[in-house]
Amino acid sequence: MNTKYKDVLYPVSFAVGLILIWEAVVRIFSIPLYLLPAPSDIARVVDGELLRNMGVTLYEAVLGFLLANVLGFLTAILFVHSRPAEKGLFPLAIALKTTPVVALAPLLVIWLGTGYWSKVAASMIICFFPILVNSVKGLKAVEHEAWELFSAYKGTKAEIFWKLRLPTSLPYVLSALKISSSLAIVGAIVGEFVGSNKGLGYLVLLSSYHLDTPVMFSAIIAAAVAGLILFGIIASVERKIIFWQKVDEA
Amino acid sequence: MAAIRSIAESARERAAGSNSNLNANASASANANANANAISIRDCSLTFGSVRVLNQVSIDIRDGEFLSILGPSGCGKSTLLRLILGLLSPDQGGGIVHHVPREEIGIVFQKPVLMPWHTAIQNIELPLSIGPQRAKQSKAERREKAEWSLELVGLTDFRHHFPQQLSGGMQQRIAIARALAANPSVLLMDEPFGALDEFTREKLNIELLRLWDNPGTGLNTVVMVTHSIQESVLMSDRIVMMSPRPAGVNDIVNVPLSHPREAEMQESPEFLGTVREIRKSVKAL
Repeated sequence: MNTKYKDVLYPVSFAVGLILIWEAVVRIFSIPLYLLPAPSDIARVVDGELLRNMGVTLYEAVLGFLLANVLGFLTAILFVHSRPAEKGLFPLAIALKTTPVVALAPLLVIWLGTGYWSKVAASMIICFFPILVNSVKGLKAVEHEAWELFSAYKGTKAEIFWKLRLPTSLPYVLSALKISSSLAIVGAIVGEFVGSNKGLGYLVLLSSYHLDTPVMFSAIIAAAVAGLILFGIIASVERKIIFWQKVDEA
Repeated sequence: MAAIRSIAESARERAAGSNSNLNANASASANANANANAISIRDCSLTFGSVRVLNQVSIDIRDGEFLSILGPSGCGKSTLLRLILGLLSPDQGGGIVHHVPREEIGIVFQKPVLMPWHTAIQNIELPLSIGPQRAKQSKAERREKAEWSLELVGLTDFRHHFPQQLSGGMQQRIAIARALAANPSVLLMDEPFGALDEFTREKLNIELLRLWDNPGTGLNTVVMVTHSIQESVLMSDRIVMMSPRPAGVNDIVNVPLSHPREAEMQESPEFLGTVREIRKSVKAL
């Protein structure tokens, strides 16, 4: 109880302290608004428009995240059941991973237009690799004796998959979801930078043209908050599903 | 004084007798019908690539006996169990004859191999809910069978605990309960207590013997792989001694101890004599 209280108190008080110092520094040294706006200046520009743009980015990111993870997990299942598929396609997946999504984004806009889909696709590309690699690892992490146990009692392939492989892979899958939950936002914003008229990436770009630094800051913070929301949801889902394993990293 | 000497002599005699394999199984075996075999291993060799793991192993596992397979770590004892289970196939020329139906063979590994996402009772139900067993019983019947099995190992209070909440000894008892739930007549055990501390190990040794003696379990024959000479002598009717690499049958020793076995028998001259005899032949390998 006491430690839980401290877990909240310490980060909050440090954050509040930093904001106060920031505010004080900006006022004392009269730092121009376009260079570094004070927290109060940033708070003043938070409005429905910002939240609407944040909603757009979250929508693109979540859609890309979901599609990439479903696709990545299914690909992993294919890989662990077919060696030729794994041998043939894994290098392609690695090539896709090493290609910077920033370099691909303009192409995606040409192909998919300036609407949602080019951002969803950018988000998918960035989320695909973590889930693929971790799922393959997780689906293969079955203890040899556990496999022998199922074989000794003549478990079918489907039973081995549903009752052994899938649950064994879940901790790996969830840790991939945590990684890609924040990456998904990156993908969506990169897509928005290249061609869009809404979303946090659009807002950041637009405010930079106008030297409207407070709005830019508000958009950057909103992007961070969006990432935190996704991460928080996944982390709490993980605690529920993987109850048998202590989560050691944040 | 004279009495003590005579006991010592008889022990030596027995030890000498069993060495030649002619000594009829002196003690009352759990099953009177000592001639029938449960499983026959015929001339089984096994080669992985260029490495020969088993070399022409032939063993008749008698119906109703407690048989230990004794040998140093990594000599292929576990491989032999996997042959019996059908997880591996012997090289050309070898064969395994099952005189009991295959689904009556149960298995306990060295590690408990429990599913961490299942509770104790759900783990015990596992073999009942996969493969051909699945269609045989309803969910309620499976649960009933698992409860019965859990009671046999004395862990009814822990039915809803997860494996990671249980001690190593308890986990292994759950693994034994899981094997018993499927009603095996033959139980194969691969160093089942090898990972446990001395105290827990001895307790579970005796517990296992009680389960084997208990007519309610339907358990008839036990084949236990072990690298402990003491354990093999305390538990079994016969001990198959394996020679290392490639593993072959070196000798089969009859244990001249009566049933039911007690932990105190480890101080008896018969026990000590048999241990000494086995030690001697291990050294000769």
